[in-house]
Amino acid sequence: MNRAVRLLLAASRRIAGGLLLLVGASFVIYITIRSAPGDAIDAISPMGTPPEVKQQLLADFGLDRDPVTGYFAWLLRSAAGDFGDSLVIASGESVMTLVWPAFELTLMLSGLALLGALLIALAGGLVLGQGSVRSQVFTAPFYVITTAPSFVVAIILSHLVNITVQRFVEQAGYVTPSWYPIPIESGGSLMPYVFAAVTLIGGDGLLVDLFNTVRAEVVSLRESQFIQAIRAKGARTGSHIARNLVVPLVSAYASRLPIVLGGVVIVEYIFTLEGAGYLLLEASRERDFPVVVGISVLFTATIIVSGLIADLVRAIIDPREVARGG
Amino acid sequence: MFNRLVSALVVCGALWAIAGPATAETFRYPEDTRPTSLVPFFAEDMSAVRMVELVFDSLVVINKRGDVEGSLATSWKRDADNGGITFVLREGVTWHDGKPFTADDVVFTVEAAQDKKTIFNAKSKYRFIKEATSSGQFEVHFTFDRPINEPERRFLFKIIPKHGFSGTAITRKDKFARKPIGTGPYKVDDYKVRSISLNVNAEHWTKPKIEQVLMQHTPDKSAQISLLQYSGKEAGVQAVIFVPPKSIALFENSDQVVLEPYHTVSWWYMAYNHTNKALAEQPVREAIALAINREELLEAHLGRGDLLTGPFTESSPFYNFQVEAREPSVDRAKELLESAGWKESGGVRKKGKLKLDLKFVLDKELASNQALFLGIQAQLKKIGVTVRPEYVDHARYREQVFTKQGFDLTLNVWSFEEVEDVYPLFHSQGVMNFIGYNNADVDTLLDTAKSTRDYKKYKEFMKQLHSVLGTDLPYFFLWSLDVYSGINKSVRNVFITPYRYFTSFPEWELGR
Repeated sequence: MNRAVRLLLAASRRIAGGLLLLVGASFVIYITIRSAPGDAIDAISPMGTPPEVKQQLLADFGLDRDPVTGYFAWLLRSAAGDFGDSLVIASGESVMTLVWPAFELTLMLSGLALLGALLIALAGGLVLGQGSVRSQVFTAPFYVITTAPSFVVAIILSHLVNITVQRFVEQAGYVTPSWYPIPIESGGSLMPYVFAAVTLIGGDGLLVDLFNTVRAEVVSLRESQFIQAIRAKGARTGSHIARNLVVPLVSAYASRLPIVLGGVVIVEYIFTLEGAGYLLLEASRERDFPVVVGISVLFTATIIVSGLIADLVRAIIDPREVARGG
Repeated sequence: MFNRLVSALVVCGALWAIAGPATAETFRYPEDTRPTSLVPFFAEDMSAVRMVELVFDSLVVINKRGDVEGSLATSWKRDADNGGITFVLREGVTWHDGKPFTADDVVFTVEAAQDKKTIFNAKSKYRFIKEATSSGQFEVHFTFDRPINEPERRFLFKIIPKHGFSGTAITRKDKFARKPIGTGPYKVDDYKVRSISLNVNAEHWTKPKIEQVLMQHTPDKSAQISLLQYSGKEAGVQAVIFVPPKSIALFENSDQVVLEPYHTVSWWYMAYNHTNKALAEQPVREAIALAINREELLEAHLGRGDLLTGPFTESSPFYNFQVEAREPSVDRAKELLESAGWKESGGVRKKGKLKLDLKFVLDKELASNQALFLGIQAQLKKIGVTVRPEYVDHARYREQVFTKQGFDLTLNVWSFEEVEDVYPLFHSQGVMNFIGYNNADVDTLLDTAKSTRDYKKYKEFMKQLHSVLGTDLPYFFLWSLDVYSGINKSVRNVFITPYRYFTSFPEWELGR
């Protein structure tokens, strides 16, 4: 069997496994959310609503089926791209119409924040990779700052920016920027996204975690026999180190995505961004379960797909992965 | 370190500031919760009530002096026996989509509200209308199911367009909720989940002064306060609807912001579950009320307000000034419990198999719930009553407390549109009587008051009710708060209307 066929088979196996995982995860998500106490009907129906009227409302919203039957009906519909209609947030509107633009925004924000963190970690890892005293001196305060929870980073950043811009506008007489003060609805300015990305990069220990991973890989590569051999021959080692760093970097990217997606929920709330994280919190509060299920499944699918992509990249770059059946 | 960071950001700010100025003449305000629907029937949360006030009109409004003033109606005439009323409508009014407003829209609104398939909380407000008929394009006559005193005060409901719906059965799923068409002073320009922007309706007869309004959902109160602190005519928000007590000091001597007090027709209460045999005993309820020092709790956690003696606030026409406030007394509370047979054992009072160990259910969204609970818990412990907290989110609270009665004690707030209508709360058949309260004297009073045609007599019945409920304590009536809005000083001619807030908003101006 040639390499391309083996690769295709490995990819097919992983995709089938990913789909099964997604179905399993969606079942757990659906049943858990449907079984939570308090539903959308309780949230919207008047106190003292007669049982028959409540039953009619339940039927109108498709909540009269038991959760398991409801799940399979939902699964069939969602396979065709129909995740149902929102119950409360935008009552009657298709979940996908409501959620997809927000999800794209969240995905872009999380992806770019993670990429930014990875690049900073890479630069830091390459420069401070030796584990020297200089490295310890530089990294100690960096650890303290970046291990704060993202919401704390967001609050500090907001105050810092607000104070700065206030001084700037009052003392230098500049025009007030549309995004000031945070968290004002800025009417499409990119700055709230920049602040959100900075928060995601600088919070929840993401940068420290990536930095440690990269630095460990760099140290291990520099001390490996093949790099020592290349160095002994007098050749440059940079391109070899870079090529061998791709696999761990891709793995790091895929494995940290769930952490960033978790952080983005709070960060969107703080910076007034109408992303999927904000929608998820609002929908949970208002028991808009089709929206909660839709976003949760999209988040789960993103994590599974990013894992798949990481595996494929690893397999393409390192044939030993396919040979091992990865 | 901090100054260096600030300086670095100042340099970056120089570049960002060039990015563009904020839109001029926009009045921005944050809301704690999103309006769940802009169909007036379903506008049940206060953020929706305020937004609907800007987008829709009613036949009449209550003006600054508290009198009824024409809005979509220019005049009205009561029937001789007060069994009906005729409204003459304003001519030349158009809906936001350009279609003309006529009497058919008024009739449609009532028919839609009375349609069995239109399910909403305030349906009972339309029950008194037996029939609505139009005579010509600009005249509507309403016939009532009984003679009504000052009937024009009942026509504060918003009018919706007949052409905006496919029939009188209106559901929350209706697309109109996201693309509302009103006749009001502002038109919906952009409806997002997180924000709603409105443009002025230049055709409106009130000639609104402010060009645009932007409501943004900002659930975090400290973020709202921050937006107000950094506010100006073109920056931040121009108003925060409710400034929490702990933030009032920030604005008391502010150059930027003025605190505007306003009346909300709302009061706080601690409800007893009367299906609990211990709490069904009046002396137990009385003892609990005596043990709680409301003044201390109010000052410590919520700021300024008035202590209540019954289900009406002091500004209510039904307030009975003869009812005296209950002075807290732990000794008196203990005596009451002792004489009712409740003996303390192991820190908890017991009587037979009954124990004063109570489940206190709290809505996580209620302001200061944790601090208030801890205060109450400590005070009740002194008389041998133990309370266990259960903090639940809003949706679960509604189910557990209002539907399933799964509580012994709970803390909450009732808000009323104009004057307190307490029939649904305390009548044994009342739709909002979630505490299982059943008192034959109270039922008789409420039924007699409801059937009377004389408003003076009605007021007397309500005052009697105040006295009876103040003694019997179906709830422990706590307090009504002094509520303040924070308004940036660039906004002029501000008058905040009780409950609806924005009724006089067309007169508000953004100064230079």
